[in-house]
Amino acid sequence: MIEIINSRPWIEWLITIAKFAFCFVPVLYILLLIPMERRGAGFMQDRQGPNRSYIKIPFFGKIRLLGYVQNMCDGAKLFFKEQFTPSGVNKFLYNLAPAIPFAIVFLSPCVIPWFGPMVFEWGGSVVRVSGSILDSEIGVLLLFGFSSLSAYGAVLAGWASKSKYSFLGALRTSATTISYEVCLGLSLMGVLLLVGSFNLTDIVSWQEHHVWGIVAQPIAFVCFLIASIAETGRAPFDVAEGEPELVAGYHTEYGAMQFGLFYMGEYSHICINSFLISTLFLGGYAVPFVTTETIQAHMGGSLSILCGVLAFLVLAFLHLLYRYSRKLKKTNLTHKNVVLREYLLYKICGWVAVLVLIAGGLCAWFLFNPSVSFIGGETVYGIGTALGTALIHLLVLVVKSVAFCWVWIWVRWTLPRFRYDHIMHLGWKIILNIALVNLVVTAIVAKLVGGN
Amino acid sequence: MARVVRHKDMNWLERLYIFEACRGLWTTLKHAARGLFRYEQLPTISYPEGQPEIWNSYRAKHRLMLRPDGTPRCVACGMCAAACPAKCIFIEATQSDDPRIEKRVMRFDIDHLTCVFCGLCAEACPVDALRMDTKVVSFEHRTREEFVASLYDLTSWDPKDYPDDALSQEAPGGTRNAEARKIWGMEVK
Repeated sequence: MIEIINSRPWIEWLITIAKFAFCFVPVLYILLLIPMERRGAGFMQDRQGPNRSYIKIPFFGKIRLLGYVQNMCDGAKLFFKEQFTPSGVNKFLYNLAPAIPFAIVFLSPCVIPWFGPMVFEWGGSVVRVSGSILDSEIGVLLLFGFSSLSAYGAVLAGWASKSKYSFLGALRTSATTISYEVCLGLSLMGVLLLVGSFNLTDIVSWQEHHVWGIVAQPIAFVCFLIASIAETGRAPFDVAEGEPELVAGYHTEYGAMQFGLFYMGEYSHICINSFLISTLFLGGYAVPFVTTETIQAHMGGSLSILCGVLAFLVLAFLHLLYRYSRKLKKTNLTHKNVVLREYLLYKICGWVAVLVLIAGGLCAWFLFNPSVSFIGGETVYGIGTALGTALIHLLVLVVKSVAFCWVWIWVRWTLPRFRYDHIMHLGWKIILNIALVNLVVTAIVAKLVGGN
Repeated sequence: MARVVRHKDMNWLERLYIFEACRGLWTTLKHAARGLFRYEQLPTISYPEGQPEIWNSYRAKHRLMLRPDGTPRCVACGMCAAACPAKCIFIEATQSDDPRIEKRVMRFDIDHLTCVFCGLCAEACPVDALRMDTKVVSFEHRTREEFVASLYDLTSWDPKDYPDDALSQEAPGGTRNAEARKIWGMEVK
């Protein structure tokens, strides 16, 4: 054990641990997406959404965290519920099936570049750390391979449950997933043709130096978006769990945390697909209109702008809070004093955050002195600049992907469910053809213009 | 006669679905933005803390109107019980102490578990003794017996809760009680 640890310098171990940590990003996204979905759905339907559960703390009273506590309660309830196994199921496969979609959550993000390749000077030598966990030449293919595996979870769950509804749901899920995988892959090909690489880091850096994928390939973007919504099996393509026909689809016979795993698997699938879509079509970690070189050359300024943007967002939140508090005082709700006391905590936290961010921004502007060295005719910055760039890149990617996650939620609560044959018609006869034509046209244009 | 409603055929733009879907998305986006930025304008009431507005003609829990001296106006004619489709009003009459009045109620029970809140009893009352304007809409009790409102429940209301109603103000505690009591007493002599 000690030999294994000693075999590498500690910085490499640190990087390895950090890479493991990035596997958990989709899981963190689940924590974000579930409240976003529930309250967003509420607002779209003119409801308030779940906002009743609270944690009681000494001075500020009932803290509801804007409805977030409800999700913690639901999670705890799912976790401690009895795992019920119906009689007659195939025990092994029944218990294995929910683990598959959730295991893929940890595998899939391995090729997504979270930030640009970090190049920094460390101890007199140049260190290069790739932005993705696995800097593979077949990046996108690997990702598609992993996300196709989640169909196994559905198929095994449907088959092992020995229930008609589960079985039909599983059939539909596998059919939809496999059909739309084809569309997904083909609509992607246009971008890959332009970039000339499967490597996601290359795709992002191409977009950073040319144009974003959404500008170069708008039709491919629309096809890809529709196909990936369909592939995750969400509304309006969720015939697999169409409750009027099949009770709940392939997870009809599951309860407690086994159901929770399917549920979380679905959300993390959304997360990974939106990471993919923002990487392929929206420039991934690239900051709009600014290249990484510019950011690195003006690191202090970039960090202070980042702090300024964050401070503005916190101030906007505070504005909403103050505005609503004022309105609340005028109403005759009996619990308004409790709510106002709760908001006092948020206001204090918000103002502290604003002060910290402004102080941080000022410090970054005046005090940040990046060390620059020229090694082998190449400008290499110190580790501070590299970490700052990585932070900015990561935040940009998070913003883009959260926006796409919102698209998923938005579409789900707007459009009615399609009929099953309509879905197949759309997949095989429309999107596939559009993607093919797009690919051919892109190939011809790329050849004529004389790209790679 | 069957009525045939002919819908206009969709034009090709609408049949493409994607543009109509975008319109739908725009609508939901507006609603979501309202929820986020104008939270207090949501039509939903956070119920137990905020109560819905109940207008005066709403048929809520019953009450028995009072004479200026505090006795129920009810003359125990039994018309409300006769009109009640749910048969939830139970009246027992007894001789009145007042020589001007023939009968008074000894027992006046309304079973709110059986009541359908149709309002026919209030309509049937010849002396405007029974009303359904208390605006009490939620009934929470622990036993079935407690849901039966007795004479005491029905007559213990506060004139201050009905400031615009002239007849309610004539009851004891109301603004017009002294005046009404004078008239009521004069009739005795």
